[in-house]
Amino acid sequence: MRAHQILSHTADVRLRAEGSTIEELFCAALEGMAEIQSARITNHELRITKNINMKSVDRTALLIDFLSEVLAQSQIEKAVFDTVAFVKLTNTELEAEISGERAEGFAEDIKAVTYHGAEIVQNSAGNYETTILFDI
Amino acid sequence: MKKEDLIKINDYTWEIPKSYRHDMRVPARIFISEKMIGKLLEEEALEQVVNVATLPGIQKYSLAMPDIHWGYGFAVGGVAAVDAEHGVISPGGIGFDINCGVRLLKTHVRYDEIKEKIPALASALYKEVPSGVGRGGQMTLSEKELDEVLERGAEKIVADGYGTQHDLKHCESGGRLPEADATKVSKTAKARGRDQLGTIGAGNHFVEVDRVDEIYDEQTAKEFGLFKDQIVILIHCGSRGLGHQIATDYIKRMLVAMPKYGITLPDRQLAACPFTSPEGQDYYKAMAAGANFAWANRQRITWEVRKAWEHAIGKGESLELLYDVAHNIAKTEEYPSTSSGQVKKMVVHRKGATRAFPGQPVIIPGSMGTHSFVMIGQKESLEQSFGTTAHGAGRMMSRTQAKHEIRGAELREQLEAEGISVRAGSVAGLAEEAPEAYKDIEDVADVVHRTGIARKVVRLRPVAVMKG
Repeated sequence: MRAHQILSHTADVRLRAEGSTIEELFCAALEGMAEIQSARITNHELRITKNINMKSVDRTALLIDFLSEVLAQSQIEKAVFDTVAFVKLTNTELEAEISGERAEGFAEDIKAVTYHGAEIVQNSAGNYETTILFDI
Repeated sequence: MKKEDLIKINDYTWEIPKSYRHDMRVPARIFISEKMIGKLLEEEALEQVVNVATLPGIQKYSLAMPDIHWGYGFAVGGVAAVDAEHGVISPGGIGFDINCGVRLLKTHVRYDEIKEKIPALASALYKEVPSGVGRGGQMTLSEKELDEVLERGAEKIVADGYGTQHDLKHCESGGRLPEADATKVSKTAKARGRDQLGTIGAGNHFVEVDRVDEIYDEQTAKEFGLFKDQIVILIHCGSRGLGHQIATDYIKRMLVAMPKYGITLPDRQLAACPFTSPEGQDYYKAMAAGANFAWANRQRITWEVRKAWEHAIGKGESLELLYDVAHNIAKTEEYPSTSSGQVKKMVVHRKGATRAFPGQPVIIPGSMGTHSFVMIGQKESLEQSFGTTAHGAGRMMSRTQAKHEIRGAELREQLEAEGISVRAGSVAGLAEEAPEAYKDIEDVADVVHRTGIARKVVRLRPVAVMKG
């Protein structure tokens, strides 16, 4: 199970992401970020994949750092990434292949992914969830 | 936070005492009028001002300007001066868009002389100045060229023939921070910036044509070369993806390093390291490089604007720079210390705040379709706010709410009916930046004027807006 919801914020945009596992949570957050970006895609044949890996201080920081890396690749490659296959995912380390499509442009300019207010917790349904604030 | 937690110092200055929270090292002061407080209490911005008061080495007060609104780490409109010898530097106190700023170009023509050509000028600006998310500029820099831009800022662009020495003289810090070191900027950051020089991006960034609408201080207006009904052009943008990535890289690095220095803070987005530490110094040098990229960007855009003017209006107009100010930056400046009163070097963090040294032109842009102000910095700014004033109107309504409540197409029609030519890449983006989403710029300018931090010189009224 995974889900995301875009929430209101005065200056920026917040996302609530939820998943039955940590892996699902990361997928939900990735899909949420892609939705916020709202890429304009004219040719769906132009797929792109990238390998990424990173270490962070804890699993919340790992999620934020993961999204930051995807965002950087998105801007460099002019692409939107909405799919991830994990080779390794621990509380502090990640290796993955991200894939997506080349984009003509984006409707929203996400400047950065922030740590502000983010904390992965288990909710009453037993799912992992957090909110993430994006700097717009 | 409740209104009772605030102590009224005077009509435009309110204090949150150190006793509000045990971890505050200094009190907080907010420059704001009573009528503006209510809305502010509905969000977390004031708690963020309190969080900043916990930074090791912070001096005197954690400050907030009247355009304060909820950010991340620091509130937008937040200012903190930190002891450079014993205190920290926090990338969150500068923000992701390093040296986001604004510059104002002057013409010698009056509105009536070119009134009929304004729509053509708006179209020419839209054509010449690349805008929109992820859109690259007209050139892709080689590694060597990019490193030169990072270390020389606007100077490099002028040396390449895209500006004048006069432009450099009228930029804050001459358009270049000499502390910049391109080797401290990651490959990823450089890859994000390589094709973005000369582009404004999206969000609240714009190029706007204004007419001088009202003059408050004849003498200073004359000294600044401003007169009634004069056409001027405002440029608002920053360091684009390159600056965003520098902040991202160093916040991550500082989060890892903080335990080594025994630093704990109430918000991870405030991540900070001692200014003199390797992490602090590397960030400062990388931030300076990001700031230089932003000045180079606004200089290149200035050239594009001059080209657009030539196409739409004609040759023979110099479009002289009045001034260029940074909104998101850290600078080392000297002020009396809290403990000894002796003048010490401090790292002044300005996030969504403008330097306002005595006699310096200060540009405070309003939201799209509303007035903007040119002011002059006053001596009181050094005493009250570490030489700082507000940077703009300040958001009041969320982007999602704005898009829900305001239709971009209707807004465009409304602005056009008010005599403002609009050229925008995204109709939804237009709605996000609607005037209703922002605080009243007149209130912000009034507070700044009445506190004595900066004095109003002229008011500007937009006649054309171009955004991504």
